[in-house]
Amino acid sequence: MLRASRRTGLVFFPAFDWAISPTHPEREERLLYTQDQVLEEGLLDVDGIIEYRVRPAAFEDIQRVHFCVPDEESVATESHLIAAGGCLVAADAVLRGEVKSAFALVRPPGHHAMRVVHGNRGFCNINNEAIMIEYIREQYGIRRVAIVDTDCHHGDGSQDIYWHDPDTLFISIHQDGRTLYPGSGFPREFGGPNAQGMTVNIPLPPQTGEEGFLYVLEELIMPLLEKFEPEIVINSAGQDNHFNDPITNMNFSARGYAALNARLKPDIAVLEGGYALENALPYVNVGIIMAMAGLDTSFVKEPNYERDYRPQRDDITQYIKDLVVRLRDMFLEGHLEKAACKEGLVIERSRDIYYDTDHIHERQHEKIRCCNTCSGALSIASTSNRGQHILAVLIPLGACKECRKTGLAWFEKAIRGAYTHVYLLDRVRGVYERT
Amino acid sequence: MILGLDVGGTQTDAVLIDAGRIAAAAKIPTSRDLLATLRTALEAVLSDVAPGGLERMAFSTTMTINAIVEDRLDPTGMIVSSGPGMDPAWFSVGPSYHVVEGCLDHQGFEAKPLDRTGVQNAASRIIKEGIRILGVVSKFSVRNPLLELQAAKWAGDAFSHVAMGHRVSGTLNFPRRIATTYLNAALYRIHKNFSDALVQILKEKGLNGPRYLLKPDGGTMDLDKSIQWPARTAQSGPAASVMGALALDGCKGETLVLDVGGTTTDMAVVMDGTPLLKPLGIRLGPYRTLIRSLLTHSMGIGGDSEVRMDPKGNLRIGPIRKGKPVALGGPAPTPTDAMIALDLLTVGHRNAAAAAMERLGAPAGWDAATTAERTLHTMAEAIAASAKAFIYNINSRPVYTIHEVLADRRIKPGSVLIIGGPAPQIAGYIEKALGLPSRFPRHYGVANAVGAAVARVTSEITLQADTQRGSVVIPEADVEQAIDQDFDMEQAIALGRTALCRQAAEIGAHENGLEICITEKQMFAMIRGYARTGRNIRLRMGIMPGLIPGWEIGG
Repeated sequence: MLRASRRTGLVFFPAFDWAISPTHPEREERLLYTQDQVLEEGLLDVDGIIEYRVRPAAFEDIQRVHFCVPDEESVATESHLIAAGGCLVAADAVLRGEVKSAFALVRPPGHHAMRVVHGNRGFCNINNEAIMIEYIREQYGIRRVAIVDTDCHHGDGSQDIYWHDPDTLFISIHQDGRTLYPGSGFPREFGGPNAQGMTVNIPLPPQTGEEGFLYVLEELIMPLLEKFEPEIVINSAGQDNHFNDPITNMNFSARGYAALNARLKPDIAVLEGGYALENALPYVNVGIIMAMAGLDTSFVKEPNYERDYRPQRDDITQYIKDLVVRLRDMFLEGHLEKAACKEGLVIERSRDIYYDTDHIHERQHEKIRCCNTCSGALSIASTSNRGQHILAVLIPLGACKECRKTGLAWFEKAIRGAYTHVYLLDRVRGVYERT
Repeated sequence: MILGLDVGGTQTDAVLIDAGRIAAAAKIPTSRDLLATLRTALEAVLSDVAPGGLERMAFSTTMTINAIVEDRLDPTGMIVSSGPGMDPAWFSVGPSYHVVEGCLDHQGFEAKPLDRTGVQNAASRIIKEGIRILGVVSKFSVRNPLLELQAAKWAGDAFSHVAMGHRVSGTLNFPRRIATTYLNAALYRIHKNFSDALVQILKEKGLNGPRYLLKPDGGTMDLDKSIQWPARTAQSGPAASVMGALALDGCKGETLVLDVGGTTTDMAVVMDGTPLLKPLGIRLGPYRTLIRSLLTHSMGIGGDSEVRMDPKGNLRIGPIRKGKPVALGGPAPTPTDAMIALDLLTVGHRNAAAAAMERLGAPAGWDAATTAERTLHTMAEAIAASAKAFIYNINSRPVYTIHEVLADRRIKPGSVLIIGGPAPQIAGYIEKALGLPSRFPRHYGVANAVGAAVARVTSEITLQADTQRGSVVIPEADVEQAIDQDFDMEQAIALGRTALCRQAAEIGAHENGLEICITEKQMFAMIRGYARTGRNIRLRMGIMPGLIPGWEIGG
């Protein structure tokens, strides 16, 4: 009988009764053909591949990560709660030791959802990975986490949530932001003052092929992980780098995804984007599941691979080599141009955020307290064109006394201010408040 | 009058039902010779009956399952075409398994034509090996049978029997389709010989009424039509018991059914008269198949299981059966001995049973009565633990829609129905161990034979319509038609209904007004870019396991 050499958990939630809109790429049958292929392959009969039933996440799970404006009910539908809950089921399976690794094949995706949520950005409302990671930290006492985001779009939501966190290494490999939504994810975005070098962006040129992805993995991502020594590795497994994907321009393949997974060996993989639902997703997902389970993937190939896959062009190979040299120099050799971070200094930044799906314009003003012992107290003032004007304070997990004091003072001051809502997330005491 | 006959591993039961009442019952030991066993059982139960008075006969047999377990399958050649995914070599079955090029995608589009020369070469190698039975399977053949039809044709006409994958089930699962097709091919001759011999016996006895075989899904099919589907006759024993429970009790509400036998206890759940089915299909020996089956679980504890005491002074029961109970001359103490020692059962030598209990409990310093009491208590606890795990597993099954997650429908049996020989003696103990009210029907000892007797014909079809590809396929019923862009759910249901009724009639459902149940119904818009380009309809409908018309609960 066929046996997985690594026990693998599978949480499958295709949400056959949910869509953003009837013709939107993120719609009911997005995982239908994946399900067809997975069932036809008989993957669930393989000894050591275990399918789990999803459960919805609770508002409490979201509140460890997000400030939802005006509240959770308004931004997260049942479908979002179940997708996030599917990730929690996957995390439990791995951390209880029932399986070696797990794959949450859930939708809708989450990696464009930022700390403050006014609505849907890039098909995402709440950040499935971040909700899962903070759950893991709370439930299982794990600290050092690495996220490798292999979606074709920059994981700007996850980057935002972990921007100041020195315990989370966030690596995003994506199509260059000059050519694709959301237009961010450049090497110079390498983390906030308290977590400099903990965000690593790897923008790859359009038409990057199998060779380029696997080269970056081997020469850059694996050494970064070795250096960081995470307790757990999460893969934000977007599948839109595929040569058949209709909304991106990359040249990756099912066998490439399988090879990437076999090498990266993430503890938990979470599905993100990927919209070639008929001619990429079924094969990519089968490849990922088989690779996670340690099965030979040499027969995993798109029916049109021979006809439509083009080997990577030489100029692209050269471009990627040069990029890797530059990024290795920055992140592995330590030649990062770090900003000064004097204990107690409060650094501020302002930015505009656009929610493409819901057409919301948000303006943020953020304050972070520089700290050498913790992630630092964080305050975000956020105004949207829907009339919301909120202020949110985060006292992070493991916050030092000073940061906690600063955070509480910001909160006290804000509740007397003219905000529609004021939020406090005190992870030290496990308290979430909203006025 | 109706005859029901269930061949079990150790015992064979037969009942004769007259006007809804059990007129005669017989229990004989099962011998190695299945036909001889059937003959003896028939004679035992029919001794007072005039031949020709039987309206209906139904049998459950062990011929095919024994052939599988004892590895007596006919040499069968397999020609398989796969495509992307798992290595098809992993699913190799039989002595002559050949993979040829050619593939369909998940929609049923031909992604790579079948290699005609490859098929011909494989076929001639199979023939050269002296094999005349063939199975052909392709991945996604249930979406489009084209490659299997081509393979069967191109293999030539040297084969005496050819089984095709798309006909065995409409369910997606390529490895199981290979195994199921193989079994149907490799059991063909064995089952045909059995069926011919059984028909001969019935003829000798002047029994000419309609005759049926029981299937693992708790339904029956016409004996003569079963030749095409030999694997569907395997392992129907647990189904016989569940259908018997249904026939004798009705099983209203959510009922846990326990069949406590000599060596095993089988369990199942019946929801308001309908037993739960396995999601994919039954496992036959080493083969996972697509043969529809009731969801049952078997554990190795029964009335004749060996009882022993471990070094810590805890009683252990089963899974071994050393032989008969001590009271009947057997070698080791059994739960049956405990029942006899406690005067719950009057059979065999009571003193021998009591002495066996006394010896068993001696290391712990218990007397015979205490040991016997604890034996039955331990047995009931073990059965209860297994039943709870069984129900937990059912409730852990994945669901795929928001609606199902939020509804969070969980099974929670409200009562337990016990059948099998020791039912009256063990019922009270199980009631306590499970914390559920228990009951047993009047004819608890022959419930399995009653189940076989009154189970109706079941059948199932799977329909997939794809307006983009312009086709609708019902693989089990051999239906493949062109459809236009407007083909909708209503038309799909009508087409499915017709195909299902025709298929059911073919295997012996003669009644009017078949009760059809739609078990899966999905429709998706198919979109390319941002425009609708088609419609994908998926239907599964069937005649669910149930009782023949006119049967009144109770017997």
